[in-house]
Amino acid sequence: MKRETLWPWAALVAGLIFLSPVLYTIWMSFLTVDSYYAGDPVLTLENYRVAFGEFDFLRYLLNSLFVSGVVTLGGLALAVMAAFAFARFDFPGGDFLFAAVVATLMIPSHITLIPNYLTLANIGLLDTYAGLILPAISNGFAAFFLRQYIRGIPRALDEAAYMDGARPLQVLWRVIVPIARPAILSMGLYIFITEWNNYIWPLVAISDSDLYTLQIGLAKLYRENPGEDVINWPLVMAASTITILPILIGFLAVERHLVRGITMGAVK
Amino acid sequence: MHSRLTPYLLIAPLLAFIAVFTYVPILTSVNLSFREWDFLTAAKPWVGTENYRLVLTSNQFWNSVQVTAIFALISVPLRLMLAIGIASYLVREALPQRLLRGALFLPSVTSTVAIAVVFSWLFATDYGVINAALAVFGLPKVYWLQDPQLALWVIILVNTWKQLGYDIVIYIAGLQAISPDLYDAANVDGGKRFHVFRRVTVPLVMPTTYFLLVISVIEAFQVFTVVDVMTRGGPAGATDMVVNMLYRVGFTLFDIGQGSAIAVLLFILLIGLAIFKARVLGRRVHYEA
Repeated sequence: MKRETLWPWAALVAGLIFLSPVLYTIWMSFLTVDSYYAGDPVLTLENYRVAFGEFDFLRYLLNSLFVSGVVTLGGLALAVMAAFAFARFDFPGGDFLFAAVVATLMIPSHITLIPNYLTLANIGLLDTYAGLILPAISNGFAAFFLRQYIRGIPRALDEAAYMDGARPLQVLWRVIVPIARPAILSMGLYIFITEWNNYIWPLVAISDSDLYTLQIGLAKLYRENPGEDVINWPLVMAASTITILPILIGFLAVERHLVRGITMGAVK
Repeated sequence: MHSRLTPYLLIAPLLAFIAVFTYVPILTSVNLSFREWDFLTAAKPWVGTENYRLVLTSNQFWNSVQVTAIFALISVPLRLMLAIGIASYLVREALPQRLLRGALFLPSVTSTVAIAVVFSWLFATDYGVINAALAVFGLPKVYWLQDPQLALWVIILVNTWKQLGYDIVIYIAGLQAISPDLYDAANVDGGKRFHVFRRVTVPLVMPTTYFLLVISVIEAFQVFTVVDVMTRGGPAGATDMVVNMLYRVGFTLFDIGQGSAIAVLLFILLIGLAIFKARVLGRRVHYEA
């Protein structure tokens, strides 16, 4: 009995200790740089003002939101259409093409780095939003996952809609998408987070600082060591918080969807 | 009812992107790995296997292979052992377990760059928290990220902290998929608990362990971000992973031929592991209690 009542507290303490680097980062982001080094905390919003203003993190935040948003919507659109085709149509070459999509899950992304850089250089898309977005848009995992999900939806629902004269895209949009919403939402979160945290591709494809995403902006800020003789850690921590927070808030809101998306892919 | 073309039109956009940005690049990499090119000149002369010879005889390449292999061999078993132990405690759907699961899982969806920056601060030589804590006990400063003997361990620690929650969540799903009775393994009285864990839980989640083992090794061989932010492969190459070397050769030295040769070699290794995974996981793994 006693152990049962102790559990919640032990769990809470363990969780807080584990997350203490993140929690301390957020706390530090509100300290003045002098008070941080003096060890006598004085609270301020100045770090955020400087990060968003002089160091352009507002722009990086908007860039990250835009790029991740477009990749998510575009990625979902492509994946849902393909998943619907693979789940509901029997067509010559279908199995082979599905295998080609699933095989992309095994292909490590580093092999595409140099060629995709060259492709974008050839068509003049380095240092553009399109150059950040296009290589990230196809998502074999989402197509595979949604195809499995759609196969679980009774075919009778499609048939009824076809009887009423609906066309395939209408069936997809009015019948399949509403039923598959939880799965689509899980995949959307997965794509968004993956793209938000993407580092190596923007590092390669972008040199114009107007197009930096938060990840690139933060890495540069940390490297260039803002501050006079000492690193301005509170400013770096404000920038880190800006980079983490949107995902943190989203995580708290939809943790269950996210965990389901991740585990359904792993455990058959 | 609908045209025979319909399914092809529905999959065409996805396949077009996959072709242009995934499949063609594999062929391009192979092609470029047999050529000499600095990205600036027009000519890309065919040099046969020269790039492979240069890569396979360079100390830097073998150093990065060794560093990456050590990283994988230590961090993957460490993560899996911690994860299976913690998962067996957190498998029940009660509030404390769920909260702790959430806390452990959070870093795995958090920005790797931000985590690397935060840990750079924790392990900073001057004004870092770890060294400040050591100073309280009268211990001298440690040069965590400047000491070739220590830097890789810090990278392993950061990676473990970040990825552990993912492994735990996958293990919990694996445990819950087996049998609801097993959640209560944690409720068995003290002395028997470890026995149940070793004799029942561990063998039953073997398929999950195989899955995590292989994907974690594949992922470990592609580590880049943590190292790029924290050490840039240093000090003295002590944390220089294969992909960090690939990035340096390809995008700072602009040696497209050798960069592509490294990419192809790593690709062959990882595809080999992926096929091994498909074979092993494709078969049903036998449970043995």
